[in-house]
Amino acid sequence: MEKITFKVQRYDPDKDKKPHIQVFTIPFKHGMTVLDGLIYIKENVDNTLSFRSSCRMGICGSCGMLINNLPMLACHTPIEELKKDTITVKSLPNFPIVRDLVADLSLLFEKHKSIKPYIMPQDMAEADKPTAEFLQAQGQLEEFVQFAYCVKCGLCMAACPTMATDRHFLGPQPLAQAYRYSADRRDGGAKERFRETDTPHGIWLCHLAGACSEACPKGVDPALAMQLLKRAIISDSLRLRKKPVPPSMAPPQAEKKPKVAVPEFTIKRPGTKS
Amino acid sequence: MRENHLKILQYVTGIGLFFLVGGYHLLLMHLSGGDPESWSSVARRAASAGWLTLYIFILIFGFYHGLHGVRGLILELSLPNRAIKVLNWTIVLGGLAVFGYAIYIPVHAF
Repeated sequence: MEKITFKVQRYDPDKDKKPHIQVFTIPFKHGMTVLDGLIYIKENVDNTLSFRSSCRMGICGSCGMLINNLPMLACHTPIEELKKDTITVKSLPNFPIVRDLVADLSLLFEKHKSIKPYIMPQDMAEADKPTAEFLQAQGQLEEFVQFAYCVKCGLCMAACPTMATDRHFLGPQPLAQAYRYSADRRDGGAKERFRETDTPHGIWLCHLAGACSEACPKGVDPALAMQLLKRAIISDSLRLRKKPVPPSMAPPQAEKKPKVAVPEFTIKRPGTKS
Repeated sequence: MRENHLKILQYVTGIGLFFLVGGYHLLLMHLSGGDPESWSSVARRAASAGWLTLYIFILIFGFYHGLHGVRGLILELSLPNRAIKVLNWTIVLGGLAVFGYAIYIPVHAF
């Protein structure tokens, strides 16, 4: 394969009524990713092409796009793996288009914010003036660590069939993160998150299609997190949920060994204290 | 009532329906004896308090399970909160009206 054809969605809100497709044929190089192809088009063919990217290594989650009708990270998708000489690239579905391949992800971030994606301490006095380190066992970390790898790329939201019909549905990313924080032993905000997600447009609209887990480039498995969240909410409602164990605390400050004193200067200079 | 309470009832009625409808078929086709479709069998069941109780339970479980399922489908249409309230009351009142009519027939026959 010497050439590769890109069918790229173009949309300028000032000029176009609806998105259309523009075709570019560019030289192919071994190891090239879809993002490399788009960068080549922008640098050599049409500098008006708009897309979002940053790290180029699947960490930042900026370059989420619909590639050959599947939501993927453009930087994480080698062209050779697609096994086609024509690639169709569109902006992520279930999100409004800003321009060309740039989707407006503000809805994702608003929903993400609504589930309080942070540790809410059980003991506020301890949180204000910590006396010791929170200890977390390996097993406790493993309960949620998989879900902590989320890069907020929005691919799961784009893949979700319920999101496509109900724009009020919280979606896989916020719901998976609601479980991630509620399962953390350091957290005391599970009940608040359960109230946020146990709504008509919340967790119960997930039908376990599994498209979110298939789309996730980081192996987060939001579908599993959502099933675990359902179980946690029902267990909590039936008072079967185990109360979160307060995190084990290290010995209080007074029992700790004193800090090692800063050594004195070996060479005394005039003006320094002895 | 919170959504999870409705969902728990959905699971309970689903499992309940499996046993109630399964038990109904077992009793009707295999354990009651005779031709279940004959006039005398139908009249005997209509006069039985046990059968009436079974009918009422099947109707309660079936109505709840079915109407909650329909509500779940309609909720996916991006409804605003006010429309959800209207939907909830329509389903509750409409469901109760149809349930009342449905229950009238076996009770009247009894």
